[in-house]
Amino acid sequence: MKKILIAVLAAATLFTACKKDTEIIDGPGQATIKFDSKVGTSEFELNKEYIIGRNTYSFNKLRYWVSNVILVNANGSEYAVPNSYYLIEETIAVPVQDGAYTYPATKRDDVTISNIPVGEYKALKFSIGVESKYNDNLSLQVGELSQLNGMTNVSWMWHTSYIFSAIGGTINAGLPSKTIKAETGLNTNYKSVTLNLPATVKVGSQTSAKIDLTLDVVKVLDGIDLIATPTIGASQATVMSKLAENYTKSFAVVSGQ
Amino acid sequence: MKLFSHILQIIIFSGLLVACRKSELEKPAPQPYRLPVPVNFPAPQYETYNPLTKEGIELGRQLFYDVRLSGNNKISCASCHHQNLAFSDGISLTNIGVSGTTLSRHSPTLINMAWANNGLFWDGGSTNLESQAFGPLTEHNEMGQNLFELMDELKAVPGYITAFKEAFDEDISSANVVKALAQFQRTMVSANSRYDKYVRKENGASLNKQELKGMVLVKQKCQGCHSTDLFTDNLYHNNGIDNDFSNPGIDDLNFGRYRVSYNMKDMGAYKTPTLRNIMLTAPYMHDGRFKTIEEVLNHYTENIKYSESLSPVLIQNGKIGITINNEEKQQIIAFLHTLTDEDFISRKSLGKP
Repeated sequence: MKKILIAVLAAATLFTACKKDTEIIDGPGQATIKFDSKVGTSEFELNKEYIIGRNTYSFNKLRYWVSNVILVNANGSEYAVPNSYYLIEETIAVPVQDGAYTYPATKRDDVTISNIPVGEYKALKFSIGVESKYNDNLSLQVGELSQLNGMTNVSWMWHTSYIFSAIGGTINAGLPSKTIKAETGLNTNYKSVTLNLPATVKVGSQTSAKIDLTLDVVKVLDGIDLIATPTIGASQATVMSKLAENYTKSFAVVSGQ
Repeated sequence: MKLFSHILQIIIFSGLLVACRKSELEKPAPQPYRLPVPVNFPAPQYETYNPLTKEGIELGRQLFYDVRLSGNNKISCASCHHQNLAFSDGISLTNIGVSGTTLSRHSPTLINMAWANNGLFWDGGSTNLESQAFGPLTEHNEMGQNLFELMDELKAVPGYITAFKEAFDEDISSANVVKALAQFQRTMVSANSRYDKYVRKENGASLNKQELKGMVLVKQKCQGCHSTDLFTDNLYHNNGIDNDFSNPGIDDLNFGRYRVSYNMKDMGAYKTPTLRNIMLTAPYMHDGRFKTIEEVLNHYTENIKYSESLSPVLIQNGKIGITINNEEKQQIIAFLHTLTDEDFISRKSLGKP
């Protein structure tokens, strides 16, 4: 009887010990990445006039896919966020399937990633667009990939692939103003971005990280003549590829903590 | 008493059976389906993360013939792809889509789709059958189906709720609709024509003299593009039916493959259709401009229009066109008849459920 009692007590102690240990060990945590759109130093807003160079712009749409997010640990190891496809956007309502239905006006500028292994992270990698595996096969819908959000459209439908990024609005170099539609897509224009953080950020079950980024539309449109080519799509291959490349150079890290 | 114990045993035993069956129903495992590969065909090569299963194929067949897939619930995939015409429609440019507008392209056949791994549509604008289905399904001049509405319409049918669960262990979704359609289409194997039986030496099958001469001529004159026993190279060629590409047309449709590749070599190029079942699939070309096979042959011998992107196989010994005399044309046509596959156009597993 005494033996049994000792055994029970011993076991109970062990269990308690175990529980205590897990409380001390830090577990996976989360990080929020904010993608703040700017026009130079001004905040990006819809239907507001901006002067870039000699032209006046007004935007009604800025949308792009952020995908294959990777967090680089201070020790050099990488954590690839599974199924990471996020649509970052600030847009007026978008007619989908020739207006069969409408994707509502939306502003979405942050992404929260959970289940990140505990650690100190020094850099962030991601891509703009949709990698070929998914771009070529619309039935593989991971993350936020969908046909229902107007990032595929009829003329693109016949290429049955995704629009990687889209800017819409008007440009004005005197009157009348021209409607602009600057889109990227196609597998060759799938580009990645690496951003080093000013200091490492800690992720764990006790500490969530917050990383603030900006995307500068002035840099996105750098060297792109939207008076000459107000519509940029698959048939403007050279300009489209320049535009896709520009996105990779237009992000900056404001802070990471 | 003994009888009673027997009955008891039977009851217990059958109870066990019911239990077993029940647990199987709760955990549906789709049965893998191995696509039969004809010995005269190469192995199909594709990876779309959509393995064939009996349940997926059967669901795809249901959907293929279901008018719920169109905006006005009047047309199905089968409305433009008739089994008795080797899944073509016999019309140059149809106008049966939901808008009533005449389309810009001729409905293609659906023959040996598991081997069609180099792009779909006449210009190859779609990479695989899964992605391709979203084209006609949503295009406003074709099936014009609002994908949100489609989900509601399918979810209202209890049989579909079960069938999607059985095929994919998932709920109804537009991704699973196109996966099922792709699976069904990959079972559209046509390899039982008189020609096939002859080359496979089945049951002493033979071709007559005229047909054999035609076969040799097709190998010599046509297999530059209509190659292998698939009778297509799955490539894109400008075959000289047009040489003026100054008018791009809606969405650059008049540019052919160029609108997809932006390579000048592809200007006016379209996908090589198979010669299989060709005597069932008139009219011909991407816009159905030729009503008869004679017109097609006359095009290749007399009427090719030169442009820089003209397929080099159509220039032989410095001369544009293929040399075929009238007698040879008759032999070729006799051979083409042997590519008609009666089994393919009547096979129940490909027909309306």
